[in-house]
Amino acid sequence: MGFRKGISILTISAAFALALSGCTSDKPAPSASTAPTASSSPSDSGEGGTDAKLEALGLDSNLKFKETRKITVEVYDRGNDGGTKPEDNFYTTYIKEGMLRDHNVEVTFVPVPRWTETEVINNYLAANQAPDVSLTYSYPTIQTYANMGGILDLAPILAENKELFPDMFEYLTETNIYWDQDPATGTLWALEGRLNVLNRINTFVRQDWLQKLNIEPPTNLQEFESMLRAFKDNASTLLGADADKMIPFSTSFDVGWRADHLTTSFMPNDLTDKDIYVNGFDDRLFLMPNYKEGIRTLNKWYNEGLVWKDFPLYPAGDTTEDNLMKLGHVGAFMHNWDYPYRNGDDSIHASLQRLVGPDAAYVAVESFPNDAGVYKKFLSGPIDRKVFFPATNKEPIASLLYVNWISKFENRVFLQFGEEGVTHEKLPDGSLKTIATTGEKIMNSPANIDYTITSNGINLGDPDLTVKSIANGYAGVDSKLIEIAHKITTNDGRIGKNANVGQIKAEDGQGQALKEKRDTILNKAVVAAVDKFDEIYDSGMKDYLNSGGQAIIDERKAAWEKTYGTETMLK
Amino acid sequence: MEISVKSKSLLYMKRYWILYAMLLLPLAFFIIFRYIPMGYIQIAFKNYSIVKSPWAMDWAGNYGFEYFIKAFSNRDFLYALRNTIMLNFLDLLIGFPAPIMLAIILNELAFKRFKRFTQTVVYMPHFLSWVIISGLALQLLAPTTGLVNIMLNKMGFASIPFLNEPSYWVVTYIVLGIWQSCGWNTIIYLAAIAGINPELYEASAVDGANRLRKIWHITLPGLRPTIMILLILSLGHILGSEFDRPYALSNKLVTDVSNVISIFVYNNGIRGLQFSLSTAVGLFQSVVCVIFLFTANALAKKSGERGIW
Repeated sequence: MGFRKGISILTISAAFALALSGCTSDKPAPSASTAPTASSSPSDSGEGGTDAKLEALGLDSNLKFKETRKITVEVYDRGNDGGTKPEDNFYTTYIKEGMLRDHNVEVTFVPVPRWTETEVINNYLAANQAPDVSLTYSYPTIQTYANMGGILDLAPILAENKELFPDMFEYLTETNIYWDQDPATGTLWALEGRLNVLNRINTFVRQDWLQKLNIEPPTNLQEFESMLRAFKDNASTLLGADADKMIPFSTSFDVGWRADHLTTSFMPNDLTDKDIYVNGFDDRLFLMPNYKEGIRTLNKWYNEGLVWKDFPLYPAGDTTEDNLMKLGHVGAFMHNWDYPYRNGDDSIHASLQRLVGPDAAYVAVESFPNDAGVYKKFLSGPIDRKVFFPATNKEPIASLLYVNWISKFENRVFLQFGEEGVTHEKLPDGSLKTIATTGEKIMNSPANIDYTITSNGINLGDPDLTVKSIANGYAGVDSKLIEIAHKITTNDGRIGKNANVGQIKAEDGQGQALKEKRDTILNKAVVAAVDKFDEIYDSGMKDYLNSGGQAIIDERKAAWEKTYGTETMLK
Repeated sequence: MEISVKSKSLLYMKRYWILYAMLLLPLAFFIIFRYIPMGYIQIAFKNYSIVKSPWAMDWAGNYGFEYFIKAFSNRDFLYALRNTIMLNFLDLLIGFPAPIMLAIILNELAFKRFKRFTQTVVYMPHFLSWVIISGLALQLLAPTTGLVNIMLNKMGFASIPFLNEPSYWVVTYIVLGIWQSCGWNTIIYLAAIAGINPELYEASAVDGANRLRKIWHITLPGLRPTIMILLILSLGHILGSEFDRPYALSNKLVTDVSNVISIFVYNNGIRGLQFSLSTAVGLFQSVVCVIFLFTANALAKKSGERGIW
């Protein structure tokens, strides 16, 4: 009897656990691992000139290792349709053979899924299994592990062996190489890859509508506004039976991105580098002075019926808005600099030409000067992926030689364009045009960006040739449209500068929560009634600042003043 | 006496050991995946470090309660708590009786083939994920392009802001919840109804009871134990929060009512890499759930029901 009762208690507690498990949730997966140990700088300092130094490193005078060294290198895996194995294909063979020929280094690639790269490299680092040459877009991840002793400090190695890596220094420049150096301790946990194309956002309008209504491309806010009103008033001329579907201006829940040129034009032209840094935590520039007035304009448009009514409802990645553009209902919008032209046959441009007519096209316009009449745009810094070596890397010199090799002009251009006649052709003007291919020579990522880890975007040395080659990349789009877009998106741009003042503690873990708050405030403010706008915007902003925004601004300000004193501009 | 009990148990085990052996696997499952992970609850009281075992992590400030204090002094968490309770309570109030009524209606259908067909159709939405349902909702309910609103406009009515005004959104949320799960939840009630002795119905027919009388005096009392158990279990979920339903249906205009605890944990804890905070919030939720479960069970027992144990 007692036994049976015991069993039934067990059964019940199991059932109880089932009920309990129903309401517990969100426990992080435990990770069991040991702390990686920091390794000391491995290179011996060569006292007796270069030869002795090379000797000590095991290199001959051609920078070839006397004994074969082995390194592992991270490569993103996109799992693309019809793609090859990212760790074993035509291009990896090119790299492997090259590294073995030039430096006697054997390279093994380690695939890491592109869209979960941060999580996966996190796991590798925690398990002491990260590839010798690792990369990520997330500097905070590197910083977290560096704080725990899991990352190799590159500063002393580079200081001693700079001359071994001429191509890397020439291509990345000291700016990118020392971008992340800690101002206080001098440690350097990562090298910043180079972002060749700083293009960010453009304002697009329907070129054919402008012609139909005989309007010049707008060059200021008033002209832009009257253009939107003209679109609305002439809906039946422009859309015929679909006149009630007219959307003069469309945006999305990501108002900050999708109204960027408008909001930027309200910021004072004389912002100092200090202002920009101190108020620059938010990547949509939400904290910049006068941002509110840009949103107020959008709110006015919304209440006049000039803005797509349903914009806040659709989540990221939803194609409803794209479809409205493709159907030809949208007059103007702001988005990524080449947004209507990307994706070949499926692009907004191609669909518009198919569904509406051969004249229908979006063209980039320059409509939002600031208080000084400058078409200022805030561009990002010339940085991209961060290349770092985990503390478990026993071959830092061989690894840096790899980074050097991949930054070398011939090597990176071959990887970006592949073989002539297979993945690219040379046009009469000397520019290159990529050809989509299938089979073993397919590029798994655009211009093989996953192999050229120090480059994002093409750079053929000659700027003219580069622009033409970029335009060639958009099949079926008049290259003139691309050239206009390419020119306007960086016109009067302020390239992001490196205010390196060390880690800002208040930012830890705040990014996502504050981003959600920002989007909520902006969406509510845009759809508010005009007389409620101030109340909604101000109370939202107050909440944002109280929830960590103000602490970030204060800490950034203090850190700036500690590093740069009373200076307000960076050199 | 002693011996006879012992031999009786032995005999019992000899006969039924196979049943207990079959229990071993589920027990192992619970121990490995439910009890052992409970050791990690301590993360709520410690400063999380990815490279240390939970046993070696440092204790958090304020006697280990730093993260609880942090959560409760966060306005967003308090809103999330309020929203969780509000949405779950409404779900319980409106969503709980719905399958009971549907089960009774289905049971009363005379035409058996039609009944089976209807049952299958009402189960279906259960198998749709919330992401798909939210896509459907947008197609149907968006203010300018939603089918329902287009129809309303054509009939001369103004659009109803089903998804973009907080109060309407709550209604949409509850109704879609019922639509998705009501049919599925009838299964257990239909099974209970099937277990009611048919003689009772025959006897009442002889006494001249009509349909409503039969439902009131036989079907509902027959369902009472089932209803009580399910009610107690749902009370145990009052602070538990689904993630995909509010997350998929939400948009930036209704975050005042749609941000529930699980979304707070996702944004502030998981994506912000604040694992101790997430664990603290999760533990708080579990503790409140357990208290509710015990209280509801005790109340049920006091009022003469069987309870769940």
